[in-house]
Amino acid sequence: MFKYYVRLAMDSIRRTPVLSTLMVMALGLGIGAFMTTFTVYYLMSGDPIPHKSSVLFAVQLDNWDPNEPPTESAADVQPQLTYRDGQNLMNADTPATLQAHMYATNAVVVPENDEPPFDEAIRATYQTFFEMFDVPFLYGQPWEDRDDEEHASVAVIGRELNDRLFNGENSVGRTIRLDDNFFKITGVIDDWQPMPRFYHADWSRAFEDTEQIFIPMSRAVDKPMGPSGNTNCWKPIDEDLPVLEAFLQSECVWTQFWAQLDTPEQAANYKDYLDNYVRDQKQIGRFERPLNTFLSNVQEWMEVNNVVKDDNRVLVRLSFLFLLVCVLNTVGLLLAKFLGKSGEVALRRAMGASRGAVFSQNLVEVGTIGVLGGIAGTGLAWLGLQAVASLYRGYQHLVHLDLVMLTAAIGLATLSAILAGLYPVWRVSRLAPAGLLKTQ
Amino acid sequence: MNDIGPIFRALTRNKLGALLIALQIALTLAIVTNAAFIIRERAENIVRPSGLDEENTAIFITNLFDSSVDQRQLYRDDLAALRVIPGVVAAAPTQSMPVSGSGWGEGLYNDPGMPSNESINFGNFMVDEHGLETFDLELVAGRNFRPEEITERSLADLSSPDILIVSQALADELFPDGDALGKTVWNEPNGEKPIQIIGIYDHMQSAWPTSDNVNNTALMPSLSLFGGQMMYAVRSEPGKLDEVMSKAEEYLSGNRSRIVETVRSFEEQKKRTYSGDIAMVKLLSAVIFTLTAVTGLGIVGLAWFSVTQRRKQIGTRRALGATRFDIVRYFMLENGLITTFGLVIGLAGSIGLNWFLDTQYEVGRVPLWYLPIGMLGLWLLGQLAVLLPARRAANIPPALATRSV
Repeated sequence: MFKYYVRLAMDSIRRTPVLSTLMVMALGLGIGAFMTTFTVYYLMSGDPIPHKSSVLFAVQLDNWDPNEPPTESAADVQPQLTYRDGQNLMNADTPATLQAHMYATNAVVVPENDEPPFDEAIRATYQTFFEMFDVPFLYGQPWEDRDDEEHASVAVIGRELNDRLFNGENSVGRTIRLDDNFFKITGVIDDWQPMPRFYHADWSRAFEDTEQIFIPMSRAVDKPMGPSGNTNCWKPIDEDLPVLEAFLQSECVWTQFWAQLDTPEQAANYKDYLDNYVRDQKQIGRFERPLNTFLSNVQEWMEVNNVVKDDNRVLVRLSFLFLLVCVLNTVGLLLAKFLGKSGEVALRRAMGASRGAVFSQNLVEVGTIGVLGGIAGTGLAWLGLQAVASLYRGYQHLVHLDLVMLTAAIGLATLSAILAGLYPVWRVSRLAPAGLLKTQ
Repeated sequence: MNDIGPIFRALTRNKLGALLIALQIALTLAIVTNAAFIIRERAENIVRPSGLDEENTAIFITNLFDSSVDQRQLYRDDLAALRVIPGVVAAAPTQSMPVSGSGWGEGLYNDPGMPSNESINFGNFMVDEHGLETFDLELVAGRNFRPEEITERSLADLSSPDILIVSQALADELFPDGDALGKTVWNEPNGEKPIQIIGIYDHMQSAWPTSDNVNNTALMPSLSLFGGQMMYAVRSEPGKLDEVMSKAEEYLSGNRSRIVETVRSFEEQKKRTYSGDIAMVKLLSAVIFTLTAVTGLGIVGLAWFSVTQRRKQIGTRRALGATRFDIVRYFMLENGLITTFGLVIGLAGSIGLNWFLDTQYEVGRVPLWYLPIGMLGLWLLGQLAVLLPARRAANIPPALATRSV
C-alpha cells in the first residue's frame, strides 16, 4: 500500500511541476540555511572531552588592580594566571588528583635534512597534561616527572609533525631542533583535536589546532621562550631584578592552569585550598582585591570564554525564522495544491476510499516532498558549510556534516513538510465527495 | 477602488490562505530589516580608514632562530636593502601593525596623581624615523624622530624611550584643551617614566579594531629585540606593491638563519582581521536574497494557482464587461490588501525581533527609517510577483464563461 501511495505521490508531484519544485526548493533552502548555521553552532558548543569534562576545572585567581571595580562572575576575571601563582600551586600538596600549568609559545623547527625550517606552535606544560587530558599516544609516553624538575630538554610531538620530520617512523629517542636547542623525543601522540580546544580557549583561540610540540614548562621558561598568547599586566614590573626574573615574579597573567577534581568533595576542598592560598598571599601584600577564586569545569569554561560567539547565535535564530518562512510558504502552496485536487479526492472517496485512506495517501505525498526537500537541503547545507569555511579563518574543524547531522537534516525536512501538510491534508480528506463530483 | 469590498469579502472566504501569505510577509520584513541593519553596521566598521596607505602597504614577519647572529646589524642591513628596492617609498621596523589583532597596548597618565585604572590606553608602535612615512601619517604638529633618538627595547632593558608621537585622538584625550604638543605624560602611575610628546599625527588605528579607543595610537622610537621575531612595514609607489613584495621576500629569505613567516599585503591583513564581519555581511546578504526570492516565488505560485482555480469566474467577469485592466487590478489590489496586512504585523515583528536580538546579543537598535523602506520594498515585491499571474488572468477569454470547463 505504502509503495502504491509513493507512486501516486510521485505522479501527483509530476502533474504540478511548478508548484512541486517551488515547495521542494523552499523547504530545501530553509533546511539548508538552518542546518548550515546549526551545524556550526552544534560543533562549537560540543563537549570536547565528554568522559572527563565534569571533573576537569580551569582555575582563576583574581590578582588584578585594586583600583578596578570589584568583579563577581568568572567572565569578568582574567582568564589566565600569573606564572608565580601557577608555580606555587604546582609545587604545593593540593587536594587535586592532577594539576597542569601551561602556556603557549612557538619556535622555529630546523629539520635534520635539508628541508626548510618552519615555525611551530608549542605548548609548554607539565607531564601531567597528557594523563589529565587523556592524550592518545602512538609511540612512547610522556616525559618523566623528574624531567619537569630538572628542566630537561625533552619533547612530545604530534603525529602530523612526526610524519613530516621522520616519515611517520617511531621517533622516540631521536632529537628535534627548536631554534638552536635540541630536544629528545619521549613520545609521539596520535591525532588529537578536542573541539573546541578547551585548555586554552581565551581570546578566540578555541578553534585553533592543537600544538604539535609539547615541552616541559620549566625548560621553556629557562630558554626563555616568550608567551605567544595574550599577556596582560596591570602593575609595572620590578626594575631591581633582571628583566626575566622580574617578569616571572610580576602580576602579569599569561599562563593557564587546570586541575582534575574527581568528586564534589574534592572540588570543595580544592576551592578552600585556593581561598586559603590567596589569603596567605594577601599576607605578603598581594591580591589586594576582595577574595575571588573560580573553578569552572570544561563546559562552564566554554561559556566563561564566550566560545560560541553571539554572531553564531544570531545566525541560528535568523535562519530558524527563515526556515519558518519556508514552512509557511509550503503550507500555502500545499493548501492550494490539495484544494486543486478536490475533484480527484472526491472521485477516490466516491469509489470507496475511506477518509483515513485519503488522509494517509496525501500524507505520504507530503512526506515525499519533505524527503526531497531534505535531500536538497542537505546538499545546500554542505555548500553552505563550504562557504562558511572559506569565510571564517580557523573553522575548518567546524564544517563537516556527520551522520547525525545528515539524518537530522532529512528528518527535520520531513517533519517540517508533514507539519506544513497536516492541515491541508486534513482539509482535503474532510471534503464531502458528492458536492464536488456534481460540478464536474 | 470600489473593488475593495468584493475583494475583501472574497478574502474572508479563504482566510487561511491569505493569512499564510500575510504571516510570511511579516516574518520576511522582520528578518530583512534586522539583517540589513546588521550588514550596514558591519560594513561601516570595515570601511573605517586605518590611516595607512592601504593599497600600497605590505607586512613582512621574519623569525631569527640562530642566536649567534647580531640582531641589530641584521635590522640595519634589512632596512637598507628594503629601502633600495625599486618602487619602495618607505620601510620601517615595527613590532605590530594596525588592524592586525596583535599588538602592544600601554597606558599613559596625564597627571602623576591619576589612579592606575584610569590610565588612557593606546596602541604602541615601535618604529624608527621612517615610521611616519611608512604608515603614511601626516604630522599635524611638532616634529619627527631623529635617527639618533632610536633606542632599543629588549629583555635586558625594557625601559621605554622618553619621547613619543601621538595620534590626534590620543592627544585630544590626554589634553582636551588642545595643547598636547611638548607636554609631559607618564608611562606609569605616581609620576614614574615621564615621556614628552614631540609630535602629533592625523590618524591611525590600533591593532584592535573592535576596541573602544581604536584611534588612540602612538609611535615610539625603538627597535624591538624581544626574541627572534623581526617585523617590517613597507610602503610602495601606487601599483608597485606586488613587485615590491616579491623582491622583498626574495631578499629576506636569502638569509638562512631565519625564516620568513608572513608576507602579506595590508588589504589581505585587513580582510583576515575582519573575516567575522565580512562573513556576517555575506551570509546575511545571502539570507536576504534567498528569503525575498522564496517569498516572491511563493506569491507567484499561489496567485498562479488561484488564477487557475478562478478561470471560470474570471471568464464570467470578462463576459459581463470587465476589461483586462479590471482583472489585473483585481489581483493587484487583492495582493496589496494581504501584503499591507502582513506588513502591519511585520512592523511589530521587526521591532520585537530587534528588541530580542539587541537585549540578548547586543546587535544595536535598528533606526526607525529602516522600517518604511523595508515595507515599501516588500510591498513592491508583492505587486511585482503578482503581476505575471494577473496578466495571465487578464488573457482568459470571455468565451470561457459559456463553456462548462
